[in-house]
Amino acid sequence: MDFFLDLLVGGLTKGSIYALIALGYTMVYGIIAVINFAHGEIYMISAFTALIFGSILSSVGLAGWGLLFAVIAVSALYAAMYGWTVEKIAYKPLRGSSRLAPLISAIGMSLFLQNFVLLAQTPNYLPFPALVPDVPFPAILTRHASDTQIVIILVTAASMALLTLFIKKTRMGTAMRAVSQDLEMARLSGVDTDKIISFTFITGSVLAAVGGVLIGCGMRQIDFYIGFLAGMKAFTAAVLGGIGSVPGAVIGALILGFAESFAAGYISSSYEDVVAFAFLILILIFKPDGVMGAATTHKV
Amino acid sequence: MTSAEPLDKTVLELKDVRASYGNIEALKGVSLTVQAGEIIALLGANGAGKSSALKVTTGLLPPTGGSVRFSGRETKGERTERLVKRGLVMVPEGRRIFPALTVKENLLMGAYFRKDKQEIRRDQEWLLDLFPALASRAGQDGGTLSGGEQQMLAIARGLMGRPILLLLDEPSLGLAPKIIRGIFQTIGEINRTRGTAILLVEQNARLALTASARAYIMTTGRITAEGPSKELLENEEVKKAYLGG
Repeated sequence: MDFFLDLLVGGLTKGSIYALIALGYTMVYGIIAVINFAHGEIYMISAFTALIFGSILSSVGLAGWGLLFAVIAVSALYAAMYGWTVEKIAYKPLRGSSRLAPLISAIGMSLFLQNFVLLAQTPNYLPFPALVPDVPFPAILTRHASDTQIVIILVTAASMALLTLFIKKTRMGTAMRAVSQDLEMARLSGVDTDKIISFTFITGSVLAAVGGVLIGCGMRQIDFYIGFLAGMKAFTAAVLGGIGSVPGAVIGALILGFAESFAAGYISSSYEDVVAFAFLILILIFKPDGVMGAATTHKV
Repeated sequence: MTSAEPLDKTVLELKDVRASYGNIEALKGVSLTVQAGEIIALLGANGAGKSSALKVTTGLLPPTGGSVRFSGRETKGERTERLVKRGLVMVPEGRRIFPALTVKENLLMGAYFRKDKQEIRRDQEWLLDLFPALASRAGQDGGTLSGGEQQMLAIARGLMGRPILLLLDEPSLGLAPKIIRGIFQTIGEINRTRGTAILLVEQNARLALTASARAYIMTTGRITAEGPSKELLENEEVKKAYLGG
């Protein structure tokens, strides 16, 4: 039972990170039907930003929650700029072209960003600074979860809550939903859809940045390549949940996290990735719309 | 004082407008005008180019020739969302309700570009009064409404933008006669009380001619007849072609 609970918490932690990245895939897809394969690199770059600013800020004396949130804020800002720029360079000029064009462009952008970090930083793993605040969590929590795991889960939950509030309650969030349901009609209602598209990339990037900082905290080392696998897994999660659906991305990510964690625990840790991608293949065969897939409710 | 257009009451003017989808020319030189406060009908068979004329007007389809003037200014190169802010609002064919937004959110999307919060609330109350069927469903998703309710919502959403000119594309499509009557009554009421000019595209010619002051008839990309609606209703050719004999 203890082992099971350990795996459960491990799965929840993994699922949290996947969810933070998967949301960016699903939101962008929901609005412009493009798979932004460069999204995983935003997450990787955020981890590097966090590494750099984490070291600087802790050397000037910042610590605890203040340090963690300052690092998240700076990484989110950087990620937002990257996300915005990626859309303007790699996707906006291709709007209205064939569906294949932005896909190729996405892969190109992904390779470019990976190699950019490889050259600008290092091809090696870098140690990640300690950013997790030293909090005396209640014993009931720490029996099966490390402080880092608890922080990852809490920060993710808070991010999800903020995102939900933003999408459901604000004018911009409502416009984002409207654009994803009918882009042309949104224009006919006076919505500047280019602005909403930019903002969707920014929102997704900010969430990926939170994930990037948290994974650094969890793994304590990062390299230029972490975005690739995490990006693919998060993409799988988004497809699993039904790409385009926000709650679907979170559910898909959690399912994937649990599946990986249990496969690693009960079979072997080398089967983690096999399980994840076997999931992707099975969904694409048997339920391509995903768990929460839009059951096309267009009433024309 | 220059003599150019003193007291221009023309809201919309299409002059010799041409437009194509790929190689197919949908509009082969269309000219029409709508004056302030008028209800104008644009009639014609399926594929005559009525919807294309509306698309060019809203900037969704770029014209290949001719000119479109809205509210005294040429619309060339102007983006759809900018024209909406200037008061040119279209209620498209098929209603195009945002299915997963609530009725209230759909209405608010119609006022997306407006900043006058209190006035927005007042307009919302006015429209829920005008369409009581919507009031009882304000919190429900737009996609769950019936066809008639969706049409009411689409019109109400359009009115939330306080248009100078409202383009209505096939508002009667697929609705029961009783519901159509109600909707057309409301359209007339809006025109009378608010002075909103309306360009009505319809396949149901009798209905449209009864509701409008003037009408244009389109055939394969051209305007082939125009005049006061009353006269067109009596015109033998029009009767034969569009009113069922």
